[in-house]
Formats: sequence, structure tokens, C-alpha cells
Amino acid sequence: MKLPNMLKMTAAAIVLSATAAHADVKFGALYPFSGQLALLGEESARGLEIAVDEINAEGGIHGEKVVLVKGDAVDNNQAIGEARRLISLEKVAAIFGTYSSARSIAASQVAELSGIPYFELGAVADEVTSRGLKYMFRTNPYAKDMGKMIIDMVVDKIAPGLGKKPGDLKIGIIYEDSSYGTSVSKHETDYAKEKGLNIVASSSYPASTVDMSSLVLQLKQAGADVVLQTSYQNDSVLFLQQANEAGYKPAAVIGGGGGYSMQPTADAVGHDVIENVLDVDFTQFLVNTKATPGLEAFVEAYKKKYGSAPRSGHSLNNYVGAKAILEAIDKGKGLDPDSIVDAVKSIDIPDGKTAAGYGIKFGADGQNERAAMMGMQWQGGKLIAVYPDAAAVTKLNVAK
Amino acid sequence: METFLQVLVSGLMLGALFAIVSVGLTMIFGIVKVVNFAHGEFLMLGMYLVYLITTKLGIHPLLTSVIVAPLLFLVGVATQRFVIQPLMSAKDDHVQIFATVGLSTALINLALLVFGADIANTPPSGLRMPIAIGPVRVLLGQLVILGASIVLVVGLQAFLKRTQTGRAIRAVAQNRAAAQLMGINVNRMYMLTFGIGAACVGFAASMVAPLYPTSPNIGTYFVLTAFVVVVLGGLGSVGGAFAGAMIIGLIDSFAGFYIGSDVREVVVFGVFLLILILKPSGLFSDRLNLSHVSP
Repeated sequence: MKLPNMLKMTAAAIVLSATAAHADVKFGALYPFSGQLALLGEESARGLEIAVDEINAEGGIHGEKVVLVKGDAVDNNQAIGEARRLISLEKVAAIFGTYSSARSIAASQVAELSGIPYFELGAVADEVTSRGLKYMFRTNPYAKDMGKMIIDMVVDKIAPGLGKKPGDLKIGIIYEDSSYGTSVSKHETDYAKEKGLNIVASSSYPASTVDMSSLVLQLKQAGADVVLQTSYQNDSVLFLQQANEAGYKPAAVIGGGGGYSMQPTADAVGHDVIENVLDVDFTQFLVNTKATPGLEAFVEAYKKKYGSAPRSGHSLNNYVGAKAILEAIDKGKGLDPDSIVDAVKSIDIPDGKTAAGYGIKFGADGQNERAAMMGMQWQGGKLIAVYPDAAAVTKLNVAK
Repeated sequence: METFLQVLVSGLMLGALFAIVSVGLTMIFGIVKVVNFAHGEFLMLGMYLVYLITTKLGIHPLLTSVIVAPLLFLVGVATQRFVIQPLMSAKDDHVQIFATVGLSTALINLALLVFGADIANTPPSGLRMPIAIGPVRVLLGQLVILGASIVLVVGLQAFLKRTQTGRAIRAVAQNRAAAQLMGINVNRMYMLTFGIGAACVGFAASMVAPLYPTSPNIGTYFVLTAFVVVVLGGLGSVGGAFAGAMIIGLIDSFAGFYIGSDVREVVVFGVFLLILILKPSGLFSDRLNLSHVSP
């Protein structure tokens, strides 16, 4: 009985001396910094870095300077390895990340076993928070919020805009066949059924396709007025181009993030072709800033630090999540895992009070219940917020 | 009927696309006996070259083929000389396969490093213009690909059958030792063949880049189908690759429309397996008609 106690004491002593040696508090920043996902991985991490800069400028956490230790999650295995390194060697108090759902799911398992809090600021798969983990929290909106908002937009805006009842619209759902497309389309289908929408076609395809003409023809034959596509970049470009070339003009096309949110997609497709195409994704930058207080300051801080405007809303959403969590930890009792968890659980930020627009309050599963996406539309070659009304910069155009 | 025609034409256009990127692969396999897993990345490399030349110099993408194909020829020769040839004496042939897999991964990551993960848009320069033939619509660029793939296949066949070098290449393919005894420089023929195979895909890049945005992973989009096409056509048969490509294009298009996009690959690969079970050597396995050539 005595030996374990002694061990505990020694362990505690080592931990204490370790923290005393560094006058800093370390957090892990686990993102894909190299490899295929490096571009948006890095963009995401920049949001966290800006949040940390601000916290440090305000005096740090419990009077200690916050230091980020980067971990490069190139793939799932490395995400696990880096999570282990951050926890056991770097002794981080918590891990922030991750942008990629698969990597987040793998690495958070490691953190959970070590009893270290894991804060997901950007991954969208359902499974990130549906596994009953005690130390896992997610601040950003996820697949379900995306599916819901897309269907809400169809019901609230597109049907009235076309002078039709929602039930009279013909909906076509197409999606890339990995977990991203599959989960978003499942939520779309569920909400569409709930709202009494008429789905006339639903089809998956591999994201690595080089031809979507037969799918376009199918949608055309089914007479789909509204096409919902969940896709990456290549397949977004292919669909929009091939639909245009086949002379297929649905009243509305709504993308679920991915390729639809990216400027090079619009440039590849042609600004005239992508005009009025809708997109639901994380909050981006052309929004009504009354609904997103702090957004302008964020953009300024970003430009000052990195010398260019943000490349996507990933940085913004990571910033919002990280800022809220760091501030909560500062107000909490301490830096041990359970105090951090308690502090984070007490976060209660109402909607319309963060730079991304959505509020923050965690549900029992660790998911931010107030997280929401935003509806945007390509107008004049730019992606502009159009839905919901509070965040809209301009009117949602229906049909040309 | 109109829809049927459209599906048919879409299938043929898709077939032509697969053909133009597959011909080089089958050429290299037929002669050097190496499955070049970096073939898709050669295409990617070519497409980035087309992108750079068109955007920096303002040259029409189709004209870039006269620059890109020779450059890719050099890439092919270098690959054979510095990656494959040192492994020729390795006890296990599979080592060469792993080497090309490694090369492919290296090239993808090199492209990520240099160009980033985002897509690069080669200006379509009029090649996206839709042309209506009766009720059927095709793109000008797709017709160019069809024409170019036919020219490429016919040209390669002629080169292999009618020229002295072509005959030497075939002799090497048929019997390496005998060819060497006849005074043919085998290593030089291998380098030449690898170069020609790579040049073919460089030529294809000039046709493909205006229609498909370039990204570091674009090669993997084409290469799996290219392997299917090449195996189906009979490994090493240039004409077979063309026919195989057309068959895959048509099956893909018809299955995609009449059955559904989600089962498209099931059908394509199902038919592929079926054909192989019935004729394991592929549909056109005459191996460049080598049986008709006296050594």
C-alpha cells in the first residue's frame, strides 16, 4: 500500500519540478502540416496561433505564458505517434487540432487513454464526438449542422423564391463516397424527409472520378430542380462544368463545403458558370460583421502576422474555438485535466457573440450545441454570406 | 434515343481520354517489362508543364505538346537509366515495381512542395467550347483528344513496324539475348522505349490539361483506369490499349447512366474480371504482333 503512494508522490514531484522548470504552459497543436492536407491544415493552425498570441498579450493563462508545441499529423499513424509524443515527452496540458476528421478520431483516442483533454476546432465527421469520450470537445459545427442548414435554406429561401411549396421541389443529392460525403448526405436525406421534401435522385460516386456526365444526365432526366452536392475540389469542378456543358441548369445548386468554398474552384469553373451557386460551410469572411463581432480584428491580426488575407474560414473557426477554450481555462481552477474539463464545460457564450457568429456551449457528448454553419452564394466571383438573414451581406438570388 | 446517343458519345469520349493516357504505359510494359506505377505522375508532371508554359508564355495548350513531349521523353529516359536499369540485375523483378511506386510518391510530394495542394488551371483556350452534333453535345477538346489518340496509336504502330529502330525495339522485346547478339544495344533500346512511353503521356498532358484542373494527385485519378485498360487490351499491345480504353469508357458511361453512378465501378471492374477470367491474357494479347516478326 505504501509503495504506490510513494510512486505517486515521486511522480507528482517530478511533474511539479518539470512545470517549475518551464515557466510556460504547453499546449499541443496537432495538424497536418505537411502532405496532402497541409494547405488547410496550416491555415487551421494559424487561427489557433492568433488565439494564443492574444491570450499571451492579455497576460497568459494563470499568469503563465502559453506555448504551442506543434505535432505534424501527416496521416493517421503519425497523428497517433505525435499525440503520444506531445503527451508523454512534451507534457502538454491539452491538445488542439486537427482539421482532418480521421486524424482527430485516431489521435483523440490516445489523449483519452492518457486522460489529456483534446479540443477539436475544425473536423466535421460525426464520430469525432459521438464516441462517448470524456476528454473530447468540439467547438466547430459538423456534418449534421451542414445537412440541416442546407435543407433549411431550401425550405426557407429557395422554395419561396421559386414560388413553389417545398414539397413540390425535386431534390437531387449527389456525394463523394467517402465518410465525408456519405455522412453529410445522410443528414441531408434525413432532414429533407423530415421537412417533406421530394428526393428524386440520390447517388454517390468516387471522388477520384474523371467523368460525371452520366450522373449529370441522370439528374437532368429526373428533372431535379435543386442539386445538393457534397464534394472535394476536383469533383465540384467536374460537376459544375459538365452540367453547364450538358445544358443542365437546375434552379439551385448547393454545395456542402469542400471544393465549393474555394476560390480556385470558381476560377476553374468560370465565374459566369458558378454565379448563384450556393454553399454551406464554416463562416467565411464576407459576412455581416454585426453577427460576427471580432471578425475584422481577427482579419487584421492575421494580415499582420502572416502578411496576407486569410485563405479560408478554417483559421477563423479555429481561432474562435481556441480563444473561448483558452479563456475558460484561464478562469478555471488549474491546469490539471479535470480542472480544464470543468472550466470548458462551464463555457456559455450566446449566439452572435463570437467572430464566427455561433455561440459555444457543450452538450453531454462534448459537441458545441450552438455551432452552426453559414449559407453563402457565389456572386460576381466571390463567396458571400446570404443565410441566415442576420449574417447575410446581400440577398440570396434564386434562379437567374 | 437522344439520351442513348449522348451516353454513347460520352462513353466514346471518355474512352479516348483513357486511351491517350494509357498508350505510353502499355508501350513501356510491352518492351521494358516494367509496370510503371509512376505513369500517372508523369501525366501530372506534364500537366504542370502545360500549365506553366501556357500561363507564363501565353502559348495555346495544344502547341505545348511540342515542348512537353520531348521534356517527358527526357524524364522517361532518366527514369530508365537511373531508377530501373540499376535494378535490372536484381534477383527479384518486383523490386522495379517498388521503385516506380517510390518514384510516384516522391513526384506527388515534390509537386505538393512546389505547387501546393490547390488546383492549377490551364486556360482552356476555346477547347471547352461545346459543339452540337444533332442532339448530341461534345466539347471541342474532347474531339481533339479522340483525334489525337488515334494519331498517337497509328503513329506508334507505324513506328514500331516500319522503322529500323522500331524493329530493333521489338526484337529486344521478343528476345533480349538474341537481340544483343545481333548487335542491338539493349540498354539504349530500353531507355528509348521508356522515353517514348513517357513522351506519349506528355503529349496526352497537352490535350488533357485544358479540360481537367491540375493537382498533385491528378495522376492517381487516371492511372487506375489506365492499368485496367492496359491489362484488358493485353499488356504491351498498343492497339489493344485503344480498344480496351473504348470498352471501359463505354461500360463506364452506360453503367453510370442506366444503372447508377454508385455502381459504376462495380460494373466496370466486374466486366474487367469476367473478361480476364475468360481470356486471361487480355483481349488483344498479340503483344505488338510479335508472332509475325521473325527475329
